[in-house]
Amino acid sequence: MTKQQSAWEKVANMLRARSLWMLYYCTGCGAIELPPTMTSRFDMERFGIGPMATPRQADILLITGYLSTKTLRRVVYTYEQMQAPKYIVGFGSCTLNGGIYYDSYATINKLDLYIPVDLYLAGCMPRPEAIVTGFKKLMEKIDKGEADGWKRYQENYEWYKKNQLDALGEVYIHDEFHE
Amino acid sequence: MNSMNKKIFNEIKAIFKNIEFTDIDERKYSVIIPKEKAVSFLETLKRKGFSHMSLITCIDWIAEKEFEIVYTLFNWETGTTLMVKTRVDRDNPILPTVMEIWPTAKYYERDIHEFFGVKFEGNPDLRPLILEKWEEIPPMRKDFDSAKYSKEHFPDRAYDVDFLLEGSESNE
Ligand code: SF4
Repeated sequence: MTKQQSAWEKVANMLRARSLWMLYYCTGCGAIELPPTMTSRFDMERFGIGPMATPRQADILLITGYLSTKTLRRVVYTYEQMQAPKYIVGFGSCTLNGGIYYDSYATINKLDLYIPVDLYLAGCMPRPEAIVTGFKKLMEKIDKGEADGWKRYQENYEWYKKNQLDALGEVYIHDEFHE
Repeated sequence: MNSMNKKIFNEIKAIFKNIEFTDIDERKYSVIIPKEKAVSFLETLKRKGFSHMSLITCIDWIAEKEFEIVYTLFNWETGTTLMVKTRVDRDNPILPTVMEIWPTAKYYERDIHEFFGVKFEGNPDLRPLILEKWEEIPPMRKDFDSAKYSKEHFPDRAYDVDFLLEGSESNE
């Protein structure tokens, strides 16, 4: 479902797809696939993707594995700090359906209930090849204007907030070590 | 059992009667102690060389209606690990704290209080350490149903089941 894009949007999307700064929230095992994806063997930088340290400068948020409710709070905070347009990639079956933690008291089972996921990489764990393919797919989607999770988040904010509150009670972070 | 350990263990046996040190492995032993004597026993062990407390854990023996608290101690001189086990009633799990002996015990005790509901008398701070907004019974107790909790709080993905082969497990 390609939406009508203005000429400016087309250009903007083309540029956006070709310079992606990613913030990786290394929640689970998946993070271990990132070093080979970034370094000489696969070298994602040749696709115009580079790592970024802070949410405010990043375009992609990688969720690399299972998310505990405790971490989900931080992820929601992080996501909301990022500037639109922003894209979320969920790594591995844990983000898709809970994976091997499907019956855990502390991990969520379905990431897209809480934040808008633009692309899922299935597998436990997806290999670097799959990640590179996934990124290429994401770039295609951005180019075509299909990666619109950030818009969906704005439009359905109430729905996302409700789901977040159902799982977390409240999104506010209490942290005794910093209070 | 090497001579060094034997000497230490014999000295301890002379103080605490009816104590049996069990071999688990080379340089690894366990011992069971009634909870009333646990603190003085641990203190003695510390003075006898088991100065390092690596871990305190808890096991839920639900059929026996007891919790087992395991103190893992280490002796840097002999390289020996000793697991001191003590049991406490599951319905009224109260134990004295060992913070006076090892200050780091504070956090292990908080952890066990949070995940099993064992109270440590004398520990001034038993606030939850890891869980947030938890209202159920402590999650590591064996009568806590994790799958049920997950079902109620974290919705599953609903799958289109068309592609499943006949005879394979269906997906509700
Ligand atoms: S999907 Fe597999 S590899 Fe990824 S976080 Fe879950 S268990 Fe780990």
